[in-house]
Amino acid sequence: MIDSSGAQVVLASSSDDNHPPENITDGNSKTFWMSTGMFPQEFVIRFAETTNISSLTVESYNIKHLRIEKNTSPSAAQFEPVTQEEFERTEGHLQTNAISLNGCSATHLRFIIAAGYDHFVSVHRVSVQTS
Amino acid sequence: MVKLRARCLLVGDAAVGKSSLSHIFYSDGSLFQKNYSLTTGVELLTKCINIPETNDSVELYILDSAGKETLVEGCEKMWGEPSLLCLVFDLTSEQSFANCSHWMERVHAHCKGLHVPGVLVGNKSDLSARREVQASVAREWAQSQGLEYHETSAKEMENCDAPLLSLAQAFYSLYQERRETIQNLSPG
Ligand SMILES: Nc1nc2c(ncn2[C@@H]2O[C@H](COP(=O)(O)OP(=O)(O)OP(=O)(O)O)[C@@H](O)[C@H]2O)c(=O)[nH]1
Ligand SMILES: [Mg+2]
Repeated sequence: MIDSSGAQVVLASSSDDNHPPENITDGNSKTFWMSTGMFPQEFVIRFAETTNISSLTVESYNIKHLRIEKNTSPSAAQFEPVTQEEFERTEGHLQTNAISLNGCSATHLRFIIAAGYDHFVSVHRVSVQTS
Repeated sequence: MVKLRARCLLVGDAAVGKSSLSHIFYSDGSLFQKNYSLTTGVELLTKCINIPETNDSVELYILDSAGKETLVEGCEKMWGEPSLLCLVFDLTSEQSFANCSHWMERVHAHCKGLHVPGVLVGNKSDLSARREVQASVAREWAQSQGLEYHETSAKEMENCDAPLLSLAQAFYSLYQERRETIQNLSPG
């Protein structure tokens, strides 16, 4: 497992300076990125090189519907759908969801948060298991 | 520094002055249309409100939605999930005030159980001789619905900023509350 090493967030649809998107890939689930209102929201993670991903673990709060897309190109464009997930609501603790990607190869992963259980959602950590 | 974004529904009966207010928000008070032109769909305008004494702001995406009964259903499809509510009635029309509870019901159906902060606006305060709704009555009802009450005159450009500032501030407080909650979460 590379705990997000070599992975970085290259784009996010909104940001609070105190809770920047880099917090998603810093390996620490205490720090977080927080959306600042309205849906959809998205962020894009780039890997240092094209990577085969067996699964992802997403730690978040108040996310309801998440779509994941990927590409194998050096730029953050032209994505194709990979999967979509409905997360269960949690109260008082983080949502932790493992998402299987069956070894798909990607240079970028795009996370689109289509709906939330509240006006604001947070993402604390995305960890990547490679194969 | 943070810039929040909120989808703000502007609703209420036909001819209460929603579009007049929204034009004032937009142009910072340079044009008031005397001639009524009915809104037939939903008009979007954006307005950025700075939160006093901070570097933070709230960008409001205001959806000025037609009030005419036969047009409402078509408009509702464009409402999406609102973040904020601005409900307007005409101080010279008891009926437009009475209808506010129907508007609340309609809006609630789109909120999916989320708490949506809002304001109640009594407009046309310049027509004091024709006033049919007393401030105390309107304020009491607003309170019972969890709305903040403001009176405005789009014609005289009186107090028109107050509802927007109060909406922006409510959304900002909500954000801070939620941030606090998230900071105190335990791991999954
Ligand atoms: N005296 C006075 N007239 C106003 C005021 N605000 C709006 N009006 C007039 O009321 C009429 C209706 O205003 P609009 O802003 O078009 O009303 P609306 O709520 O957008 O109506 P719909 O689009 O049909 O839902 C116009 O003739 C305006 O000039 C006000 O504060 N005072
Ligand atoms: Mg109108």
